[in-house]
Amino acid sequence: MMDLNYSDEQLLLKESAERFLKDRYDFERRNKIIASKTGYDVGIWSEMADLGWLALPFAEENGGLGGGAVEISLIMEAVGRALMVEPYLACVILAGGLVEKLGSADQKAKILGGLIAGTSRPALAHAERQTGFDFGNIAATATKSRDGYTISGEKPLVPGGPFADIFLVSARLDGAIKLFAVHADASDLIRTEVKLVDGSRASDLVLDNVAVPASALLGAEADTLAEIEATYDRANAALASEAVGIMDALMDATVAYTKERVQFGKPLAAFQALQHRMAEMAVKCQEARGSALLATLSVDAPRPMRIRGVSGARAKIGKVSRSVAQEAIQLHGAMGFSEEMPVGAWFRRLYAIENTFGTTADHLKRYSEVVRDPAVLSGSLLREPV
Amino acid sequence: MDLLMTEEEVRFRDEVRAFLDAHLGADLKRAERLNPSFLADPAVGLKWQAKLNDKGWVAPSWPKQYGGTGWTLAERYIFDQECERAGEPHFRGASIKMIAPVIMRYGNDAQKGFYLPRILSGEDVWAQGYSEPGSGSDLASLKTKAALDGDHYVINGSKIWSTLAHHATRMFALVRTADTGKKQEGITFILIDLKSPGATIRPIRSICGTHEFNQVFFDDVKVPVSDRIGEEGEGWDIAKYLLEFERGGAFAGGVLRAILTRLHRLASEPLADGRKMIDDPLFMVRFAEIATDVDANDMLELAAMSKVQAGGNPGSVPSSTMKIERSRIRQSIAELAASILGPDALRWEEYRPLHDLPEESEIDEERKVASAVYFNSRSQSIFGGSNEIQLEIIAKTLLR
Ligand SMILES: Cc1cc2nc3c(=O)[nH]c(=O)nc-3n(C[C@H](O)[C@H](O)[C@H](O)COP(=O)(O)OP(=O)(O)OC[C@H]3O[C@@H](n4cnc5c(N)ncnc54)[C@H](O)[C@@H]3O)c2cc1C
Ligand SMILES: Cc1cc2nc3c(=O)[nH]c(=O)nc-3n(C[C@H](O)[C@H](O)[C@H](O)COP(=O)(O)OP(=O)(O)OC[C@H]3O[C@@H](n4cnc5c(N)ncnc54)[C@H](O)[C@@H]3O)c2cc1C
Repeated sequence: MMDLNYSDEQLLLKESAERFLKDRYDFERRNKIIASKTGYDVGIWSEMADLGWLALPFAEENGGLGGGAVEISLIMEAVGRALMVEPYLACVILAGGLVEKLGSADQKAKILGGLIAGTSRPALAHAERQTGFDFGNIAATATKSRDGYTISGEKPLVPGGPFADIFLVSARLDGAIKLFAVHADASDLIRTEVKLVDGSRASDLVLDNVAVPASALLGAEADTLAEIEATYDRANAALASEAVGIMDALMDATVAYTKERVQFGKPLAAFQALQHRMAEMAVKCQEARGSALLATLSVDAPRPMRIRGVSGARAKIGKVSRSVAQEAIQLHGAMGFSEEMPVGAWFRRLYAIENTFGTTADHLKRYSEVVRDPAVLSGSLLREPV
Repeated sequence: MDLLMTEEEVRFRDEVRAFLDAHLGADLKRAERLNPSFLADPAVGLKWQAKLNDKGWVAPSWPKQYGGTGWTLAERYIFDQECERAGEPHFRGASIKMIAPVIMRYGNDAQKGFYLPRILSGEDVWAQGYSEPGSGSDLASLKTKAALDGDHYVINGSKIWSTLAHHATRMFALVRTADTGKKQEGITFILIDLKSPGATIRPIRSICGTHEFNQVFFDDVKVPVSDRIGEEGEGWDIAKYLLEFERGGAFAGGVLRAILTRLHRLASEPLADGRKMIDDPLFMVRFAEIATDVDANDMLELAAMSKVQAGGNPGSVPSSTMKIERSRIRQSIAELAASILGPDALRWEEYRPLHDLPEESEIDEERKVASAVYFNSRSQSIFGGSNEIQLEIIAKTLLR
């Protein structure tokens, strides 16, 4: 029988994640972090390591806690509410996830070991300017050298880039896309910091004949592209949950504000016109929660189901989260349009999410390609066990 | 009924076009393109204002006796369309469009003689002091106090969200001179020199990262009684008169069509993968829908104008309708533009004003400013009386 209720352990994780970020990552602290020179807080990162967040999705044999997508979704909701800018998703889900899938025992021990301990922060450098939503549209090249490989290419907007000590760079080796672990301090690798619209930062990378040893190649025999796509799906499911966390935060803030703010001798919340607007927001928050949960529970499904769940959620949530964010600003009046409150920061983070790992329109298109197959469209969300 | 220009109007349009070609420089157009806000950066706006002032075209809506152009409504409409088409910086804010009509209608001769020329020349830049921390939509509940003391008032309190007050020399403000009776009846309209002792400004940044509005505090600020407009207690009627200009009043069709055209150009440029958004049916449907909104709004404006030209009054419902529609259209254009940037939408340039940065290609600059324009567009449905308040006005009229 399917089960869509959180377990006691999951509820504990949710509560502890929320409490940790509430205590240690309030809006003021976050604003200090984004205004700081580096734009992230290593202290918070090591506390996350202590809490086990960095080990969460990895198998126990790899030093992880064996958590699944549901556990990640709970962390991501809390991350969304707190507007955390440290690259949890970039390091743990994207880079860490691919190392676990493709890495040798030695690579896992080194990279995952350091990641879990909080001392290493790998980042995935895959998408290029022309990549768009066609994951295989990669121009970077790797050529065999005497004792390793030489990599050249450009990787813009690498998430977690400024924070990274290792990049997993995708490049074509004899035509096939492969991943290589490249040290951030490699010569001939130029890393430029980019400020992002949500207050976080990324890096533009240029690799100009960067030499790496033979041991840098991950998953020599694997279908790397398929793993990269599946990993982005995990990341997109996580983003969907982050968006849901933000939407709930916007909802809570709007309800609290309209109950307090008095105009025409009454709290704003007493005006029915606004009550209905908030009720509509609540409907959208619930819908988004349903979509995000479907995405979360689809990450291991067969590809068409995975796309239905994940891209469907990103498309749906893109639309409703934008509306909820706009309404939250509107109902806060000029206060919502100012930087005096976190409303605008949530709005901007949702905007960033809509443009991360595929835009809302990209996901809608990807979704539409799978639902034109009647077998997918008419199929129940309930799946047979494999 | 028809939509035809007269021969004379065509000639007039060509004359305006020629002037704009000759005088609206590329630097000013670029600064406006890179401005995410409703009003131009004052340094840019004042530069353009000076050029128009030399030509005598700064304030087409003013009567000729005060320095207006004496144009017909249709000519003013054409002028606005052409200025927007050319991409002029938007400088006709609180000074020319708001306080000037109030001074003309309610001011005495001394006030007219002193203030109006200073507005035309740009010597004075005005800020609007209506909203307070506790009084937004419920403007009449305002609390900033003005106590009469001989030949001056002593002002205490604070105004908030005052656009460009940090660049303004003066503020027109609603203040409370009486606490008895209906709250509307104790309001007085007053002109405050922002350099007066006791006036301080706290900058507030908006969600598009720009410092465009402020909180202004008044701590025993003295204002001569001669800077009161109208009588004590007359402020509410004056305020409402002014709001007509802020909300409906002037034309917006030109700017809407201009920004839609900018979106079209952005969408016509090939993306990194070679596609063009104008070839994307998902995009084009939305774009065309908005274009029909722009057409409909244009017709509303022309119809209202035609009514005024025939000696009628367009009434409050058209002005509320237009305020709502204009804000929605601006927001939907900005939102659509921001939705076609792809991953570049993530890049954020913090520096302001953007036009002080090294020049890039026009399209790159459009892409650079598009997110900020979208964020800024959210204010359209809040300022000048929120859309909810406009709906209240329409509903009240319907259900009367
Ligand atoms: C297809 C259909 C099937 C139905 N089947 C059943 C049934 O099986 N059993 C049954 O008991 N009833 C049934 N109804 C009746 C339905 O419950 C009522 O129509 C409904 O409750 C609205 O009441 P009303 O028609 O008296 O309209 P009113 O209450 O007069 O409302 C008129 C309009 O005003 C709005 N309105 C009313 N009050 C408010 C408010 N406080 N705030 C904002 N808006 C408000 C309503 O939404 C509606 O648009 C059915 C109605 C329809 C249309
Ligand atoms: C960019 C910008 C520039 C501005 N510039 C100036 C300026 O230069 N000078 C100046 O004086 N002011 C300025 N304002 C302030 C503007 O006039 C107010 O923001 C506006 O009047 C709304 O007031 P508020 O922000 O206090 O919102 P509130 O009145 O607190 O309203 C909050 C929300 O509740 C809604 N609401 C309120 N009452 C009702 C009701 N009865 N029924 C239904 N909904 C309701 C509102 O529509 C809004 O969505 C500016 C605002 C912005 C955003």
